[in-house]
Amino acid sequence: MIKIVNLLPELLGTYGDQGNVATLSWRLTQRGIDNQIIHASAQESLPDDGDFYFLGGGEDDAQIASVELLRRDNVLERALANGAHLFAVCAGFQLLGNSFPASGERTIEGLGILPVITESAAKRSVGELLSESTIGIGQLTGFENHAGQTRFVEKLQPLGIVNKGIGNHEKEECDGAITDQIIATYMHGPALVRNPRLADFFLSRKLGPLSELSESVDAVFTELHASCVARALR
Amino acid sequence: MYLKIVLLKARAIGALSRLLGQGSGVVIAGRFILKFSPNSVRKLAANKRVVLISGTNGKSTTARLIAEALKTKYTVAHNHTGANLFAGIAAALGANPKAEVAVLEVDELVLPWAIKETRPELVVLLNLGRDQLDRLSEVRIVTNRWRAALGGQRVLASTDDPFVVHAANAAAEQIWFSASEKGHIDAATCPECGKLLNWEDGGANYWCHCGFNKPDANWTLRGEILNHKFKVSSAIPGNAALQNAARALIVADQFGIDLDAANKAIGAVHAVDGRFANLKIGETNFRLLLSKNPASWRETLATSSLGPKDVLLVVNANTQDGKDTSWLWDVDFRVLKGRRVLISGDRKVDVAARLTVDGVEHQVVDNEIEASRIFGEVDADIIASYTAFHRLANK
Repeated sequence: MIKIVNLLPELLGTYGDQGNVATLSWRLTQRGIDNQIIHASAQESLPDDGDFYFLGGGEDDAQIASVELLRRDNVLERALANGAHLFAVCAGFQLLGNSFPASGERTIEGLGILPVITESAAKRSVGELLSESTIGIGQLTGFENHAGQTRFVEKLQPLGIVNKGIGNHEKEECDGAITDQIIATYMHGPALVRNPRLADFFLSRKLGPLSELSESVDAVFTELHASCVARALR
Repeated sequence: MYLKIVLLKARAIGALSRLLGQGSGVVIAGRFILKFSPNSVRKLAANKRVVLISGTNGKSTTARLIAEALKTKYTVAHNHTGANLFAGIAAALGANPKAEVAVLEVDELVLPWAIKETRPELVVLLNLGRDQLDRLSEVRIVTNRWRAALGGQRVLASTDDPFVVHAANAAAEQIWFSASEKGHIDAATCPECGKLLNWEDGGANYWCHCGFNKPDANWTLRGEILNHKFKVSSAIPGNAALQNAARALIVADQFGIDLDAANKAIGAVHAVDGRFANLKIGETNFRLLLSKNPASWRETLATSSLGPKDVLLVVNANTQDGKDTSWLWDVDFRVLKGRRVLISGDRKVDVAARLTVDGVEHQVVDNEIEASRIFGEVDADIIASYTAFHRLANK
């Protein structure tokens, strides 16, 4: 049984983020792979034995509360040590870094799992985000909506090279980051719905090569990806 | 004297705009009034008892029901077309300068200005929830703006919504209303201190270590019964409409109106500005429902599930709809299972992907005309996002 852990959905789920875990689960089920989604809420102890972890987007207070809860349990460090893979979006991406900004010109210490820092920017980044993936799966499409801008403080591979939109930072022209076990991005949409190849890439890094979904089963997601790419380029 | 001339000219401009088929003429008339008499709202409101209504969902319906209830005793100015920004408010007051009462629905971010300009007798605060995050503010920003504007005011506010309570706590006087709603999708953290909010009794109660908690309600709606004794009448389908009817009754009570008379006036309203209006396309009798954000989609889907079996979803993502369709994943569409579901609109593929993952059978169509060909001679619902709704409502 594959366990997909949706971390703190009531805090980090402001932008339809649970669509990512729902889609991961759906793609596994279509292949006959047993799986379950665990919505791990703030009121419970967070499991460290999941196969896939997910962190979504949220507002300032929720992001700060989340980082406190995750630090208290060290759940992500333990899960990653157990071989889990993590997908993080927006606020979830930021809180993995060394620090991120909050209202009132505060700087909040992050989990320090990714060597990035996020700083406040003069202008909020809102709109379609289109990038060419650095992992050979073509174009990636999402909708970004973030006040902070993120830069790498050590060498790190971005997830995509930005064609349209801002991504991590107005001066960097890239989106997200990818390490052996972590994929992080600013793409809402949700990202794994709009980018079925990214969803399968994420799953296969842990599970090994996956059978192809039949064209008819995957058609709506392929069409959604194409329509989102076309819209971003209009 | 000058204001009178401005109002006359504004009325003529509005009429001309209508004549030319440019919409209701309300917004253009209002803009004219504000341009040539910037203090007009303050002047026009000065001789009126003003009620302002704001919140994420239910503004138009609640304002209309309050207006109908108050009309049983007073002359009422009311922005009945739903134009709820600066110009819409100016136009509503300008169209009826001698009215005794003004009932104005106000956009959430325009509310501070409206309070300052109209000096209301009562501010009705409905609810706050996530809504079109690409262009509107996050919920916590809105509640803090309200809070800063409410000093010295008298409010009718919902205890079920922590963001409303946070704002309303700053008012001079609160009339607390509970519709016995449980939980809140955006309120995992405390609006006052930002720490985790403690939800209890299945979401019926909340409190925080900082002292913030759910106030006791002066008026409570359980089912259709207000304060254990009064049966609220609503001809508009759905639980949200019932709650708004209850709010209208409470406002009527504050204005010294007999509750039975108010209830009768409220119960005579069947459709508000196109919501739940009937629309015949081909042989299909459609009923038109508006949905704007996750909270309103949940409410609308629940209401629609008690209606006809056939349903068409029309989702666009223009500026007024919100350009990011991520919110589709905040709504549980499984309630549609077992119904005949068609999808159209600019973002039909996004909706199709959503329903696929939820296991809801559906068919994508080009538009409502193709839908009516498939449905045939039956009753059916159309649930439409903002721009699609207004296109259909104007058919």
